[in-house]
Amino acid sequence: MGTTDQDVSDEELCSLFPGAVDRDSAAHYRGRLRRQLLINRCADCGTWHAPPRPVCPSCLSDRVAAQPVSGAGTIFMAVFLHQGPPAEGVDYSTPYPVVTVDLDEQPGLRFSSTVVGAPNAEIQIGRRVELDWITRGGAPMPVFRLTGHEGEGAA
Amino acid sequence: MISARNPMKDRVAIAAAATTGFQPRNTDRSQASYVAEACKAVLSQCGLMPRDVDGLCGSLPSAPAVQSMLGIPEVTWFANPMIPFGNHVAAAVSAVHSGLCDVVLAYHGAYRMAWNTGSALKDPFRRGAAFGAAGIPQPESVAGSVGYTAWASRYIHEFGVPRTSLGYVAVNDRTNAMANPGAAMRDPLTMDDYLAARMIREPLCLYDMDIAVDGGDAFIITTAERAAGLPLPPVLVNAVVLGMTDKNEEDQAPSLRRHGQQVTVEALKAKSDFWIDDIDVLLAYDGFSVIALNWLENIGFCEPGEAGAFIEDNWAANDDGTGRIMIKGRVPVNPHGGSLSEGGTQGSGHLREAVHQLQGLAGDRQVAGAERALVAIGGFFFNAEGITLRRA
Repeated sequence: MGTTDQDVSDEELCSLFPGAVDRDSAAHYRGRLRRQLLINRCADCGTWHAPPRPVCPSCLSDRVAAQPVSGAGTIFMAVFLHQGPPAEGVDYSTPYPVVTVDLDEQPGLRFSSTVVGAPNAEIQIGRRVELDWITRGGAPMPVFRLTGHEGEGAA
Repeated sequence: MISARNPMKDRVAIAAAATTGFQPRNTDRSQASYVAEACKAVLSQCGLMPRDVDGLCGSLPSAPAVQSMLGIPEVTWFANPMIPFGNHVAAAVSAVHSGLCDVVLAYHGAYRMAWNTGSALKDPFRRGAAFGAAGIPQPESVAGSVGYTAWASRYIHEFGVPRTSLGYVAVNDRTNAMANPGAAMRDPLTMDDYLAARMIREPLCLYDMDIAVDGGDAFIITTAERAAGLPLPPVLVNAVVLGMTDKNEEDQAPSLRRHGQQVTVEALKAKSDFWIDDIDVLLAYDGFSVIALNWLENIGFCEPGEAGAFIEDNWAANDDGTGRIMIKGRVPVNPHGGSLSEGGTQGSGHLREAVHQLQGLAGDRQVAGAERALVAIGGFFFNAEGITLRRA
């Protein structure tokens, strides 16, 4: 799309992700426009945290900033919605998968989204995933795609 | 950090509890009307007038609106805590013990709204309160209700438990609700019915999730001395804990063995005079079936993952396929039917049932001579709450 974060005003950002964006999460959502998954990380102690906070929960440093993660990880929890809120591209006639993924960057650092490109029977706790992107409401949305076969590192 | 300090122990009492009963449909009444009905009933039980109340505590309607509605001339303290109802108990008991007020009217309106049932949107009077500033949530979020389904998937994965473990909670609740005239759901439910029910958010089915209802509960909370002069037996508040850990978001909580319930239990054991061997009734929150299983494990009845087996060992089966938990053949769990069958009261129903059991007012489901109760309200994350109660 060629969109960069500088192209988008706060007003436009909030309208692209209705109800989702506040001051502390704006950098994460600007990252989405570049198809980068950004998670807050402390510049002093290096600890990642989610959701985005204005200070580091580990050392209370103010020097936190949204940094890219690979999006690779392991499925920690998995739900299949037989009904749910209306959303573009979501049809509950096939139960809609929602997973919480343990990201490789740090134990217990997690991100939740759906899984694309796999039958529900394959979407299991312990399976490895990688990041992919789809578009909803004209804005990029991070999703997961299964890789490999065997889970590693499931807590 | 957990402290055993508890200077308010037995100094504050729940003098009375009243309910409207609950309806599993959009009734033609407002939330305020149910709150008014429950508040009038609890004042009447105590022989109190609105002018006798000097503290107000509830979520919706706001305390100012309820004061105005009930014509309470003056209050010196009020609060509008978030649900579940353990927050209200903690606030009210603290306010009475510290002297901010003497007589609190605490209330809860359970009401079908879009956050707990999409069909609330069919009623134009309910649409206004449909969604907050965050708008309609995206399906990919595990915040709120979906979070408990996600952790149910983790529970089943880690411990390899069958769905029947969850089903026992639903069958127990329904069997108990059959003896509660105020319960929303009173038709018999068997394990076969449970296993045949449609999935809503897999791995949770229709019967794993509380039922959205219209109705209300109200309580009078006052000093132990004042309660002793009121008509009903006072129920003393022995200890209250609102437990929470730092990673308290639904998707960031570290594990099933590290969330608010463990903090609540550890602190409640430190602050309370009695524990599970001494209780006569257990209220274990069951807004989702998996929550009640985790309470049983975290309270210490059994090890993690063993709640289903524990229930099997303490199951009182009926010939018709219904049945109920009777711990050691003696202690029922959620005798009012819990959130799954009495209705989703966000904990006010659990507290009210405990009070009624300890006052001898529980009707056909009365536990003979009940003296002590443990009330475990709420879930895992920012809402795990514990209360120990005893008859004065």
